[in-house]
Amino acid sequence: MLIALVAVLHVFVSHFAVGGGFFLVVTESLARRQKDAALLDYCRRHSRFFALLTLVFGAISGVGIWFTIGLVSPEATSTLIHTFVWAWAIEWVFFFVEITAAIIYAKTWDSLPARDHLIVGWIYFVAAWMSLFVINGILTFMLTPGRWLQTHSFWDGMFNPTFLPSLLARTAVSAILAGIFGYITLPRLEGREKVARWAALWIIAGALAMPLALWWYFARIPKFSQLYLDGALTGVRHAVRGGVGFTLLALGIALVCGVWKPRWMRAPVVALLLVCGLGMIGAGEYLREFVRKPWVINQVVYANDLRAAEVGTMQSNGVSHSANFLLTDDTTNTAYGEDLFHLQCGSCHAAAGYRGMRRRVDGWDAEFAADVLQHIQMMHGTMPPYAGNEEDRKALGNYLASLNPAWKFKITDANRLEIGEMVFASRCGHCHTVNGKFRPLRGVFENQTPSQVQDMFPVLGAMSSDMPNFNAPDDQAQALAFYISHEASKPISVKPAPAEMPAGGNHSQLLGPVQFRREVR
Amino acid sequence: MRTIPIPHVDPLPLPGPVWLFTALLLVVFTLHLAAMNSALGGGLWALWNYLRGRHSEHPYSRRLASELAAMLPTFLAFTVTLGVAALLFVQVLFGNFLYTSSILIGVLWLAVIPLVMLAYYGFYYFSYTAEKGKASGGWVLAVSVCVLLGIAFTYVNNMTLMLRPERWLGMYRAHPNGWNLNLGDPSWLPRYLHMVNGAIALFSAILAQAGMRKMKLDAGYGRWLAQRSALVFAACTGLQFLFGMWLLLAIPREIAMDLLREPLAGAVFGLALMSVIAAMLLILLGSLSEKPGPLVHVGFAMSLLTLFLMVCLRYLLRLASLRPYANLGALSVRPQAGVIVLFLILFVGGLATVAYMLWLVARSRKPRAGVAAPS
Repeated sequence: MLIALVAVLHVFVSHFAVGGGFFLVVTESLARRQKDAALLDYCRRHSRFFALLTLVFGAISGVGIWFTIGLVSPEATSTLIHTFVWAWAIEWVFFFVEITAAIIYAKTWDSLPARDHLIVGWIYFVAAWMSLFVINGILTFMLTPGRWLQTHSFWDGMFNPTFLPSLLARTAVSAILAGIFGYITLPRLEGREKVARWAALWIIAGALAMPLALWWYFARIPKFSQLYLDGALTGVRHAVRGGVGFTLLALGIALVCGVWKPRWMRAPVVALLLVCGLGMIGAGEYLREFVRKPWVINQVVYANDLRAAEVGTMQSNGVSHSANFLLTDDTTNTAYGEDLFHLQCGSCHAAAGYRGMRRRVDGWDAEFAADVLQHIQMMHGTMPPYAGNEEDRKALGNYLASLNPAWKFKITDANRLEIGEMVFASRCGHCHTVNGKFRPLRGVFENQTPSQVQDMFPVLGAMSSDMPNFNAPDDQAQALAFYISHEASKPISVKPAPAEMPAGGNHSQLLGPVQFRREVR
Repeated sequence: MRTIPIPHVDPLPLPGPVWLFTALLLVVFTLHLAAMNSALGGGLWALWNYLRGRHSEHPYSRRLASELAAMLPTFLAFTVTLGVAALLFVQVLFGNFLYTSSILIGVLWLAVIPLVMLAYYGFYYFSYTAEKGKASGGWVLAVSVCVLLGIAFTYVNNMTLMLRPERWLGMYRAHPNGWNLNLGDPSWLPRYLHMVNGAIALFSAILAQAGMRKMKLDAGYGRWLAQRSALVFAACTGLQFLFGMWLLLAIPREIAMDLLREPLAGAVFGLALMSVIAAMLLILLGSLSEKPGPLVHVGFAMSLLTLFLMVCLRYLLRLASLRPYANLGALSVRPQAGVIVLFLILFVGGLATVAYMLWLVARSRKPRAGVAAPS
């Protein structure tokens, strides 16, 4: 969580570093042309704030991301380095120029002639935007490597399918943030209204460009990524709503408190604008990361830092054959399961806490867990395949099952539906809904009695190669059948859409609404 | 029993020749060290003179602390900027070693980021209070300097640990969550002292030549600065010999012997010894002269040369340490020729742009007829 927070704050400040530089030099130019001393004084104060925020927090948190990706995803980082080291070297040149220009610009208001000071300001902006230009290529490559997958050519990787739309979106975000941060140093008296209106224009211009940029961007992301956006996943749904909402709110504030009634632009409103800016960035970053799942580099490295090319070998030979760092050499040791968890799941999950596994596997026994691992890439389409052999799956299954005490229920008529819902969430809900958008089961179980539903459980594993065997105790199976029958037969206003969902990011395996093959193999 | 765990080399080929990455790494790391020495050595110099300058009989100390205050944030900015480039190139060649050691000491390694920010803002605060003539910045400066010393400690831990793969598995099994340090390695302490003491020495050389330039404007202050910093430079350089010897004795004997037997390493070592002795003599003699002369400047250039040679020696030590585990010559290479050329053009263009901006600043300090007054 801390890492995500630092990353979001870095993106927040680094985009301000691009837009804010443009804002400063254009505003200074305007002030000098209009001989507006108050506006010029605003630029001077704003440039100090700008330097303190971008040079220190912006630059160092960027290095922080370097440190972090090396720790969390060394394989993916190494792939990026081996592909784009020269892009980073070029970006570093721009970064070097940018830092030098920022220091000179902030320090020489009283010493440099106006023309020279403006030249330094323009140099800053061009270097900062070019830095964004280069990094944008590397970031977009991770989702849409495009022709690079065949050619391994630097230029194919850099100028990939989402390069331009993402560049437009990031430039628009930079303009919005330039306007928002412009209010932090708003003059108290003289020139206040002029600056308020001027900064609002930047927010409005950026916000108006965003729909086009995002439409373009989302039209060019891979199909498996687009499917995440259909509203089936709660986090994605919230992120989309949040991103749109925060941007519209910022636009509204800019129109009302910036353009229409600038005197309303007081500290609480500015604080709200900052929250909008941060929320917008947070939502955008969350979406950017999420729609790439289960990959960290699409088709090359999975989110748990395993190379796609190595998964097959690991499934044949077992993890212990290739893993360098294991707590134990004894694969029959219970600690081995925990080892596997840290190696293959630890990038995204903690046992408890962040994306904690304890609540996700509540109700699982070791046998079911080991079986589920074989089909894990089917879960909400966001999981990589499990890269281990049968022995590894058993060891990890044992560990996952050990995270919670075994379920023991006393099922009565009063609690049957509630317990059935719990069992569904534990055994079925990772891959299915009954009436929802995600692989809905209604089509299979509509108007079936609980006993008819329960009759199907023993053959589930044989019905589809993507299904685990069902092995819940009888009382839980009864409750589950009761719940599914009840839910699938209750009247609903809208029939579940035949949502296609990605499966492990492999777009050749898209699943439609569930249509089990009834024959038993 | 498992063998020594070395993460595999990246299956993608290197996008440029090894010699080019090596050259770039050596150059940018030397520049990074020069900036780091200015930030750390400058911070220590500023702190000492700030404390000393609180008494009215030491006006020069007060003046020096105030002058340094204005420069420390910039030193740190360039330490970070140049460090990023070094980190980039070292990852290309030694990523599988560096990532592993970084993960093993992950907690402290990640702490570097907030710590640098803390030191950086502390330097800004000190410069702000010095500019306003306030006395409250001393404690903040002391914290910043201590934080920088802590960061140096972290770096030494990581850079020594990446050379010792045989220690990794035991360390991981003891603390798999990144709560490790490499204190069991006898070379960390002499290496740490060598780096920190070296930072003071190099920045003293910088101050000595700054003092010579200042003699033209204020003879008393310039002479005081040149002579004092020359003495510190000489003392620290003397200590460097001791710490360097200790370091050589602390690294595994076979690696030290391997290193010393190598003709290139011997030549670099010999040249470094000669240049540092020359630097010490030139700076000491030059600073004693009543009039500004070139000796100190030449001595300063020699100390920079020494720094570069020591960086080369450090690199050769890394190669010698990793010889059983890594062979850079065997890496597959597919140069991205067009991008390399573009980088080199932009690199020269970038340097020219920076030079142009510095020229603009320098020009503004010498007002000439026809140049508009600053507004």
